[in-house]
Amino acid sequence: MGRRLLLHLSLLAVVAAGLRLAVVPAEVCPEVTAAEAEAAVHEAAAWLARNQSEDGRYLYGYHRGRDEVSTEYNFVRHAGVTMSLYQYATFFEDAAVLAAANRGLDSMLDELIAHADWLAWRPPGHDVELGANALLTAALVFRRQAVGDGAHDAVLRGLGRFMLAQQQADGSMHGYWDPVAARTIPIPAKFATGEAAWALALLEGEFPGEGWTEAALVTLDYLALHRDRDEGYLTRMPDHWAAYALAEVGSGHLDEVRAGYARQLAGYFGIRLRFEAQRRGTGINLLLRWVPGTPAGVGTAGEGIGALWHLAQDESRMGDLLPNIEDRLACFAGMMVERQSTSLEAAAYPRPGLVQGAWFYRGFVQMDDVQHVLSGLLAARPLLQAREVTG
Amino acid sequence: MTAALLTVAYLAAFNVARTRLGVPEGEARRARPFVLLAGVLLALGVVVGLAAASGPLLRSLQITPETFRIAAGFTAVVAAGVVLAVPRPADEPVPRRWRAALWPVAFPLLLGPEVLVVAVASGAREGVAATLGAAGGALAVLIALGFLPRRPLPDRVLVWASRVLGALLLLAGIWMAIEGIREV
Repeated sequence: MGRRLLLHLSLLAVVAAGLRLAVVPAEVCPEVTAAEAEAAVHEAAAWLARNQSEDGRYLYGYHRGRDEVSTEYNFVRHAGVTMSLYQYATFFEDAAVLAAANRGLDSMLDELIAHADWLAWRPPGHDVELGANALLTAALVFRRQAVGDGAHDAVLRGLGRFMLAQQQADGSMHGYWDPVAARTIPIPAKFATGEAAWALALLEGEFPGEGWTEAALVTLDYLALHRDRDEGYLTRMPDHWAAYALAEVGSGHLDEVRAGYARQLAGYFGIRLRFEAQRRGTGINLLLRWVPGTPAGVGTAGEGIGALWHLAQDESRMGDLLPNIEDRLACFAGMMVERQSTSLEAAAYPRPGLVQGAWFYRGFVQMDDVQHVLSGLLAARPLLQAREVTG
Repeated sequence: MTAALLTVAYLAAFNVARTRLGVPEGEARRARPFVLLAGVLLALGVVVGLAAASGPLLRSLQITPETFRIAAGFTAVVAAGVVLAVPRPADEPVPRRWRAALWPVAFPLLLGPEVLVVAVASGAREGVAATLGAAGGALAVLIALGFLPRRPLPDRVLVWASRVLGALLLLAGIWMAIEGIREV
């Protein structure tokens, strides 16, 4: 009997060890204060501003191990980084950051084109991209909120009309417009539809009563019901831009479909962040969970869960998710504050200014890595502050 | 998970049909009543204890209840595979008198890995009362089965019921894993 008992106990031990290693490694969420998150946000914004060129372009990428600056560039990401800097400016007064955002903005405004009744940014030699223009719209909205002037209101409305021109009756969006043939290109662009829905929703906040929310809702419903099948995704796409859009239209515009979509998105961001918290990047965990995820990937999950946190506070149909959403958002903040390159770490590299304040993935940082984590931490900061108040 | 589904999950996790096939027997090849009852109570105590301690246990292991649900589902699927492949339990040596309640009734027949993880998962999500109700209900079925005399026909029925419960455990495991993935 002793031998059989030993056999069964060994089986239990093997199962327990296998589960611990392969399925449920510890989910480590470092505790951070709101002040620490704020400091990380300042460092991130400073990295983007410090490494910007005079022509308004940001540093696209840098490999700290090889001391190698990337020569690539991406215009959608340029608009996204500018948006995140203005997002930052809605919270903090920092002349250097605002100046950097303005330089990034000016480089886009210099390349606007007009067609029919709309305006759009077209980088020379490129098609007009829906996603880039949606993020430019978001950047201008945050600039309007941060600076408090309406200097670019005509541009904002012109960009809005471009997005409406790309919008189809079912709410889908054409991702590109061909300036040579002067016609829309009827293919979607990944993430651009969600970005446009968010941008349209943001316009309503600045210009209420002009019908922007109605347009955003049509596309939000398309995202909720049809986009994934139309674009061939097996599972729903964890679209943080859609989460931003849902939060922006607010609980007053959430019917069952949109509320259900918000819950599903919360699930996607939740499992992404839980999985991320299991990653150590060392030893056997490295074999089973690989290295910690790209900062942009984790950052978008943080942005998404942050947007849904704002929504869930006013939306009774998401009330049951609120405690978990808060835990995931706090965990995101803890992980990313801990993973940010400090001045001490940066000093060990040839160009510390390209390292300090950034988040690296296997030695490489790309500007959208910093952008997404910055935006996610901005969303997490009020939660951390509230937790400190309530204990 | 509703109370009914949770009870089905426990019926499948305990696999009352398979367990019945392994319970030490007395007169007329019926289960020894004291041994079965004591084993069942012991198993129920462990399940309820794990459910009650699930919160602190998972916190100490730094596992969210949602992620643990994936682990429980995964374990249930593997255990279901074993049951479907081997619907009869192995013959275990049976000690004398009350000790048979500990071995083999409580362990390894009732307290297999799948039951232990389901207990933690349901304790963390559905709570102790629901876990007690569902596990108690499932074990009551086992006690009723204890009165069934082992004959060729009932044996064949029990083996097929074991397979059916194995299939249900497979479904319950997949369900739990998907829940764990979809939750926030």
